[in-house]
Amino acid sequence: MSWLEKATELVSRKGFRKGWLGFVIVFFLLFIIIPTVFVLSYVFTNWSDIQNNVLNDPQAMNAIWAAIGNSFEIAAIVTVIDFVIGLPMAWILVRKKFRGKQLLDTFIDMPLVVPTAALGFSAVIFWGVTVPTVPYHWGLELVSSPFILIVLLHILFSYPYMVRSLSAILGEIDQTYETAGRTLGASKLTAVRTITLPLFRAGLVTGIILCFARSLSETGGTFVALATLSGSTGFNTAPTLIQYYKSIPGSQPVLAFISILLIVLALVLLVAVAVIVKKMHLPIRKIWPRPEKVLSRGFAPKLKDVTSIAFLIFIVLIPSFWIFTFVVTSSSSQAMDWSTFLTSLAYSFAVAGIITVVDLALGVPLALYIARGRGKRLPEILDVLVNVPLIVPTVALGISLGMFWNPGGETTAAISFVLVVLAHLAFTFPLMVRNVTGAVEETDPVYEETARTLGAKPIQAFRRVLYPMISSSILAGAIMAFTRSLGETGATIAVAPDANTAPIYIVNLIKASDFYSAAVACIVLIVISFAFMLALRRITRKRREAN
Amino acid sequence: MPQVELRNITMRFGKVVAADEVDLIIADGEYVTILGPSGCGKTTLIRIIAGILEPTQGEVLIGGKNMKGVPIEERDLGYVFQNIALFPHFTVQRNVTYGPMVKDRGKDEQRQTAQKYLELVKLLDKMQMFPSELCGGEQQKASLARALATDAKLLLLDEPLSALDARVRVDLRYELRRIVKRLGLTAVHVTHDQEEAMSVSDRIVVMRAGGIVESGTPQQLYTRPKDIFTSNFVGETNLLEGWVKERAEGRSVIELRDESTIVVEQCDFDEGDAVVVSVRPEFVFPFTDGLLSKIEYFTYMGTYWRVTAEAQSEDMVEFDVPAAEGKLYHPGQEIYLMINRKAAVVFPRPKEGIAEAVKLE
Amino acid sequence: MPRIRLEGIVKNFGDIKAANDLNLDIQDGEYLCLLGPTGAGKTTALRLISGLTKPDKGRIFFGDKPMNEVEPEDRKAVMLSQTYALFPQLTVAENILFGPDIKDLSEHDKEKTLNEMLEMVRLRKRPDAYPRELSGGMQQRTALARALASGAEVLLLDEPLRALDARLRISLRHELRDLAKSLGLTTLHVTHDQEEALVMADRIAVIRQGSIIQVGTPAEVFDNPASPFVANFVGQSNFFVGEVIQKREATEVQDDSGHSVLARPGGCKIGDRVVVAVKVGNTEISKEGEGFFEGTVERVLFEGRNLHVDLNVPNIGRYSSKIPSWRLGKLMPGDVVKIKWSADKARVFPMPEKGLVEELKVE
Repeated sequence: MSWLEKATELVSRKGFRKGWLGFVIVFFLLFIIIPTVFVLSYVFTNWSDIQNNVLNDPQAMNAIWAAIGNSFEIAAIVTVIDFVIGLPMAWILVRKKFRGKQLLDTFIDMPLVVPTAALGFSAVIFWGVTVPTVPYHWGLELVSSPFILIVLLHILFSYPYMVRSLSAILGEIDQTYETAGRTLGASKLTAVRTITLPLFRAGLVTGIILCFARSLSETGGTFVALATLSGSTGFNTAPTLIQYYKSIPGSQPVLAFISILLIVLALVLLVAVAVIVKKMHLPIRKIWPRPEKVLSRGFAPKLKDVTSIAFLIFIVLIPSFWIFTFVVTSSSSQAMDWSTFLTSLAYSFAVAGIITVVDLALGVPLALYIARGRGKRLPEILDVLVNVPLIVPTVALGISLGMFWNPGGETTAAISFVLVVLAHLAFTFPLMVRNVTGAVEETDPVYEETARTLGAKPIQAFRRVLYPMISSSILAGAIMAFTRSLGETGATIAVAPDANTAPIYIVNLIKASDFYSAAVACIVLIVISFAFMLALRRITRKRREAN
Repeated sequence: MPQVELRNITMRFGKVVAADEVDLIIADGEYVTILGPSGCGKTTLIRIIAGILEPTQGEVLIGGKNMKGVPIEERDLGYVFQNIALFPHFTVQRNVTYGPMVKDRGKDEQRQTAQKYLELVKLLDKMQMFPSELCGGEQQKASLARALATDAKLLLLDEPLSALDARVRVDLRYELRRIVKRLGLTAVHVTHDQEEAMSVSDRIVVMRAGGIVESGTPQQLYTRPKDIFTSNFVGETNLLEGWVKERAEGRSVIELRDESTIVVEQCDFDEGDAVVVSVRPEFVFPFTDGLLSKIEYFTYMGTYWRVTAEAQSEDMVEFDVPAAEGKLYHPGQEIYLMINRKAAVVFPRPKEGIAEAVKLE
Repeated sequence: MPRIRLEGIVKNFGDIKAANDLNLDIQDGEYLCLLGPTGAGKTTALRLISGLTKPDKGRIFFGDKPMNEVEPEDRKAVMLSQTYALFPQLTVAENILFGPDIKDLSEHDKEKTLNEMLEMVRLRKRPDAYPRELSGGMQQRTALARALASGAEVLLLDEPLRALDARLRISLRHELRDLAKSLGLTTLHVTHDQEEALVMADRIAVIRQGSIIQVGTPAEVFDNPASPFVANFVGQSNFFVGEVIQKREATEVQDDSGHSVLARPGGCKIGDRVVVAVKVGNTEISKEGEGFFEGTVERVLFEGRNLHVDLNVPNIGRYSSKIPSWRLGKLMPGDVVKIKWSADKARVFPMPEKGLVEELKVE
């Protein structure tokens, strides 16, 4: 037997498969789940510290409640806006056929290409009145309220998540139901309202959770926006507050407290949302035939579509890329420090590269286990657990992880790098697993089963039959993880503020008021992410055509 | 006034022509089945009637009114889907009351309507169940009740029985016709199953590759098909290649490949024409004279055996013998086969060859 | 020794008893049809033999070798699913060569196998096509060729003709059976279509609610059903419920309203409450002459070769009869006819425990 055959034989043996899976599960629990929620134990171990340093400090408490209040309010408003405007867009994507649909599809994902720090800057110079140190006057200069600006900013990167989630669900709902409703006499609007939307519920919960959690987590962009918006001192979201305290030594109790609050409130709220959405009674018994008929035809649907596209262009796309105009119109007072920037870029790439590889090696087997284990206890539990690092705001995740692995607060370069890797691993792992799980669940198990009866061992059935069908999803998961890691600020600051990643470099430039260099760095990051995204779209399109 | 009229309907999907200049008239109260193999365009036609598809060319008239620009919900018809499409989040009752509900009928009227039609399909005891709790046949009956509850006079059925088990299909198709006739509806039923078509229809329209081949009552299509494709698609038949040797009123002689001859009663061709004789297995019987054939094999059909033999003319011939007589014959045996001259139908020999002309896919 | 043996198999999915003390023997080279309604456990039986599902209890043998612990890839029992499961990214040729590729055969052997298969299933012209470009029948033949090329000895077919048009099914029945037989394969063909089973099988095994209720040749299962369910599922039957009043050359059964019918002598005693079953094709009706009782013609349905006549018999219920089509026009709705059958065509069964309606239920 050749060595490849021996290896195949070895890997196919039941013991090996079980062993590897066991390793993956243990790794997942030990390196991802437990560190993510470790901070919660602080309540029990250091309650007195919290009491003394935090609860008894009225100034700190005010700041904390204000920041948390801001974060949750912003997240809620952003999610609602995303849903109301995103739903018609999802409809256009899934149900309508027209030339240029591919282009629309690409446009919707574009804000994801821009690192959030850049989005923060872009949003400020488009919408807001900038601080005097920012020499720029080509924006609308409409907004001076930090709250409103942050809402507008958060819409930029959460809108694609909502549209994608809604599109995915809509794509799964058989249009025949709606058609059946129409043959029974229901106008289009009535049919959608009474038949399709109620079937949406499960996906709606996913969309809401993703949007909300993303908004709660975001740090870099919010910080940059607040730093460059005039008159915004004193305004904080929970992540920026954490960032502030991180630079003050001895703040562990405060940081722990904020993180705990964030995690607990986020989990409670999202469970409540899931329950409410499932039990909510939609008004599907009441019909208003005449007005619904009028709204179904002619002017109204066209208006709805035009509004959706206008929103996409003017509220999402243009503000996202407005940063390009800064580079064009402004000049630099200092020379761009390319070597430091490129080093930070290399650092970010190294982190992103490592976590992507680990995500692939461990996430794919776990996803397979969960997807093919529906109905069994352990896979179901793991399925729920996988979502935890997604829901926990990344700053809180960073704090928690830092406490778990590095309680002493050592700050050597090596330790910082490892901590950043572990933190980024935690919040990218769910992305990979969810992508692959979704793809595997969409494929009929009959293909692998047929392959096995044709003589293929499990690993051969995977490699030759299942893998080609899900490879584009695996790749999508990998690129999502990679770009997410590249753009992340909050977790990095929370776990190792001295780590020199590209986003942190940009944030530091902003702190030093070197806006031009920051803008240039942002644009370099955008271009790189864009290149990745184009490659991904090219590959997924080829695979989709083959299927 | 005819209930449904299709005038010069053409439907193109890119380069594919799903329906090619189709004309069809369905009279008020008729139960018409559009029958054809997959891809022949039958589903396209029924969707055009319903308004789910807008034809590339041509007009649809329902009740004399042109349906151009009229959306689905205003065409006043009932539609039964192949994949049933009961709303999963509504009970059977709420599925059935959906039609009356969207027309804003009162609650009492809705309930009465549901009761009336669920009773008709004998599903009254399953009213409060959800579709997922019913089995296939029950689901389709509920779907029928839902379509009928709109009180529409036109019922469209898109392969309504294809998803069901064979046994359930047989039971349900009688019910379909019974209910449609009892309510005095016009029905357009689409299927690929010729047995189903024959047992439910007043008239069958045979389609192939986007066009209508012929139309007639089940008996007409079975006993006197006008096209060779119909003779093979509606029921099974033997096809024998030959030439017209003699032609006379009431008695013509066809010569087969090996110069043996068969006699047919009706032949509309001239001497020397190349023809194909179609005769169904039940009209071929062993005799003391006729086509010399060798028995190849037997197929058990329950109450009879279907015997497959090769005639000396190189045509394959199938005939039936009662179950009890099966032991009288054995493979390899040589017998003479006589055909019933009244039952034989003569077609012109197709240019593309018989196999191509009767191809099922 | 049977080629495949299922012994005391039990398999539950939650509350559903997919296999409920299932016992079945399949002989070497046999074409066995497993016939039953949807949900009877047919697909489960197939999966158990293939190894894709493991039984909760019971044993599976191939010959004398116990197979419970053997993985699917080592069983040489290839499964053809209802939807064919052709690998969408591979061409016809690549699909067919999947098995040989796994076994790492030489290029020469693979080419030889491919050509043989393409020839056998009449697909020589389309080796480079993708599954989505093929018609239903061609997909089925490709799936079959793929199964055969893998060197399988057992063919497990899950409703292989279901996805095809009705008329096409009739044409492909012979082709499918001939192919399996010519290669000497042992075949288990699962279906809900009794006509298909009658035509194709060496033997039929009727399955219901997870257990086998009868195994026999098509003629045995058709003419000698083991229960009223089989009598009505394999070919439609008429039923007569009554009490045995005489047993001589024929058994005489009489119902409460005084009608009596004859049936084949069976294992019942005088005084037993029984059900008589006779196939609709063996139920004779005529306007003149004698009969067991009378009925009114409700409807006459033209089915091509036959007429299906539905009759209403007062105090007994609905009866059906299949008569040759040439009688069309001679029988109209409203006509009163006499109904009878020859005694040797009717079978007597003890009254089912749960009643006749429950016994005959198909879904």
